[in-house]
Amino acid sequence: MNQDLEKLITLHDLDVMIADLSRKEIRHQEEKLGLEADDAQKMLREMRTEFTAQLDRRLLAQYDRLASHYGNAVVPAIGGRCSGCLTRLPTAMCSDPERNEQIRSCPTCGRIIYWAD
Amino acid sequence: MRRRCVCKWGLESSDRSGAISELLSQMPDLEKRRRQLLQTALESREQAGATVVHEGVSMPHCRSILVDDFLISVGRSADGVAWPDEKVRIVILFISPVKPGGPEEHSELIRHFASRLRDGGAEKLFDAEGASELADMLGLEIPGSETDESGS
Repeated sequence: MNQDLEKLITLHDLDVMIADLSRKEIRHQEEKLGLEADDAQKMLREMRTEFTAQLDRRLLAQYDRLASHYGNAVVPAIGGRCSGCLTRLPTAMCSDPERNEQIRSCPTCGRIIYWAD
Repeated sequence: MRRRCVCKWGLESSDRSGAISELLSQMPDLEKRRRQLLQTALESREQAGATVVHEGVSMPHCRSILVDDFLISVGRSADGVAWPDEKVRIVILFISPVKPGGPEEHSELIRHFASRLRDGGAEKLFDAEGASELADMLGLEIPGSETDESGS
């Protein structure tokens, strides 16, 4: 898998964790178990700052733009479709054995695509 | 309906990172690179705050776009795993998918495990005599466990 793509997936997972710790119900459940949601979220934010400092600026700008517009900047292709907008992706894109070796975007919505299968 | 899990009865690792790796390696159909990225996500969450939810029990968890269904892997260590400041013997690892309704289902799963750990439930986990019994106590099932009691 392309290293930049891996970094974007890692960044996305970090953002999901940070957002989850702001969700009332998840936060409530974690705190009931004795986990420190506030501290964890603060630490994750710091980790995100450190992590993004290593990312290519152009790529980070693309990610941030997509994330602010859609909420999710990176999505898996499922059944030949972008799981963000559900549009069928070009066959050539899906059948390329090296499809995860470069950053590819959905031609319709622009979200960054990766193939899990 | 009970959620499915895999179970490693007899974790060999003595440290948190090794235990997470062992549990992820139990999951079928998870190729190496995806497993490594999930390990990164879980360890990030742990570094932000260790997920020891009861004395001797940890619950590493996250949501990730790398999975399209819930992945649950339970481990039991005879000697304990350093997590990192206290030893745990039961590890309940789960990863929830990122999808519409995902946060609610993730929260529901946390609530499910919390209910199993309450009122002495956590202590009972240490008395489990096998993978199937441990999974059962957690309200989970191991596919094919009738023919594979080791669960590993």
